[in-house]
Amino acid sequence: MSEVIPKLFRINTGSCNGCDVEFVATAFVDKFQLETLGVELVNDVKDANLLVITGPLTARSESFLKNTLTKLKKPFVVVGIGTCSVSCGIFRDSYAINGPIDKFVEVDVNVAGCPPRPQSIAEGIAKGIKVLEQKMNGEATPKAIDTIFKDFSAPDSFRGRMSLNEENCTACRTCEIVCPSNAIEISSTGDGWFVHKIWHNSCCFCGNCAYFCPTGAIFSTNSFDTAKLQSEKFSDVNVGYIDYKKCSSCGDRYMPPSKGLLSKAYTHDDVTKLNEKICPKCRKEANFKRMYA
Amino acid sequence: MKEKITIGPFHPELEESVYFKLVADENRTVTHVEIINGFIHRGMESLVTQKNFMQNLILTERVCSLCSNNHPFAYALAVEKISGVKVPPRAEALRVIADEVKRVASDLFNLAMLTHLAHHHELMKDTMDAREHMQDLKEIIWGNRMDMSANQLTGVKYDLNEEKIKLILETIALVEPKVNALQDRYENDESIRAKTIGVGVLPYEDALELGVTGPVARGSGINNDVRVVAPYSLYGELKPKVTLRDGCDVHSRAMARFGDIVEAIRMIKEVVANLPEGDTYVEKRPHIPAGEAVVRVEAPRGELIYYLKTDGSQKPVRMKWKVPTFTNWEALKVMILGDKVDNVTMILNSIDPCISCTER
Repeated sequence: MSEVIPKLFRINTGSCNGCDVEFVATAFVDKFQLETLGVELVNDVKDANLLVITGPLTARSESFLKNTLTKLKKPFVVVGIGTCSVSCGIFRDSYAINGPIDKFVEVDVNVAGCPPRPQSIAEGIAKGIKVLEQKMNGEATPKAIDTIFKDFSAPDSFRGRMSLNEENCTACRTCEIVCPSNAIEISSTGDGWFVHKIWHNSCCFCGNCAYFCPTGAIFSTNSFDTAKLQSEKFSDVNVGYIDYKKCSSCGDRYMPPSKGLLSKAYTHDDVTKLNEKICPKCRKEANFKRMYA
Repeated sequence: MKEKITIGPFHPELEESVYFKLVADENRTVTHVEIINGFIHRGMESLVTQKNFMQNLILTERVCSLCSNNHPFAYALAVEKISGVKVPPRAEALRVIADEVKRVASDLFNLAMLTHLAHHHELMKDTMDAREHMQDLKEIIWGNRMDMSANQLTGVKYDLNEEKIKLILETIALVEPKVNALQDRYENDESIRAKTIGVGVLPYEDALELGVTGPVARGSGINNDVRVVAPYSLYGELKPKVTLRDGCDVHSRAMARFGDIVEAIRMIKEVVANLPEGDTYVEKRPHIPAGEAVVRVEAPRGELIYYLKTDGSQKPVRMKWKVPTFTNWEALKVMILGDKVDNVTMILNSIDPCISCTER
């Protein structure tokens, strides 16, 4: 096996410069350990074998990107940094966007994040180098690569991958409405279930959904594990199931209010219990009886 | 002998994509300059009309990640002007804290890039290290290193408790001596002085005529800081002290930025010490009637103007920006002409270009 020297060249295809700034931080601040990977930053794309691409690929950049790609010598590896390079993220619906970049170039590693933490960028580049080594040696790319930097941590308050607590969710769609990058979708299965999906590769990690959620069902974890192989691009989804319940009194099916909401409305535990398994109509009746009968 | 030189659009020394076509003479002095842009145009003005007011809080943040607090700040001010909301005093204070923290980080990044382009590696590392303290602070308090998501339409999303205030003060105590030491080094370091003094000159008269803003104006001796000439939020009481330099070159602009940083640190300390009690927002989802508003704020790069028109629906009818780099951009031609080819990227960096703001 020959020694591989990763030669990195960065291309900005129209990012808001967040990812580019964070890339500079990754490259020049020691604590992110990029130099342990032996990466060399090259001045000419002709010498590069590790391409870092940021941005959603604007219409203006497209021809320049295509032209630049023809100068590269195979084998090379492409690492897309930032949610917009993966899925165009928040800019997806614009007329001026021709991306994402995997329409034009074979992407190997995607790092979602808006912008990703330098730790995630370093992880993405490290995984890119693994893929490069395999390409150089003519091996097939594996389905997944284990985390390379194991000692990175994030503060608890870091806005990382979103998660859903199905217990508290009432499928009210507030998160869907406030999400700027349309990363959340709530759909009905037709047989009494709601499906709540969060597409991590479209999410721009702004925390709007968690902030506006009336029941606290959707929340951000501090996980920054977003450097994934291209093969995982479309499967990186958080799926939650929210079910209709059968009213224990009249037998109708209904969407139960979340426990969080109920405990706000009715402060006594026993009343919450009374209300838990009945539909809104029966709940009105039961509470009327409780107070006036 | 004429030489044609192109720089960009993808170039390791350019943070964002831009394309220079230069003509230089035998001394490698630029005699003609053409700047081609549009690479970062993402159709923002169309996008904001497709999204509702809550989504736009985040979308405006993504106009540019370096001034990502000023955009939602100005946007929120415009919406509040239309809906006639008075923001609680605590929210005003928290907005100023977020804004000034962001300003310190943004200016330090620009200075780090300057030293990077001047090939002063050691100084760049130290500047980046000083900036990292602010980045860590942002990550712990606001949850992200760049896009803080601090503002909402009638106030702010975050609050500070004793512990977080302590953290801010501790971080400032770490950063302040580092900034002072850096300021001294930028001012006196021989190699930095040699590379930046007399480079990229924008004379006072040209600066006035072109209407440049922010540190570019201040480096040419013009004070048009919005926080001073048209105070908003708490800036009327805080009275920021503006650093003016008259060197009109790359070095003066860098030192004007240091003045901003020092002043921002002073203001953070002052606001944190006198944080008013009370709510952090008025109502979570306000009603926004039909109306028009123009707001201007001071971003790290200069004056940022927001125009917003609403029709009582959930989405804006029109939103228009005038960003600082828009006026500073024209000044580039004055600065680059007659200077050396090797200095072009450094001169570009000296206006702290925010191309993603300008092209949107």
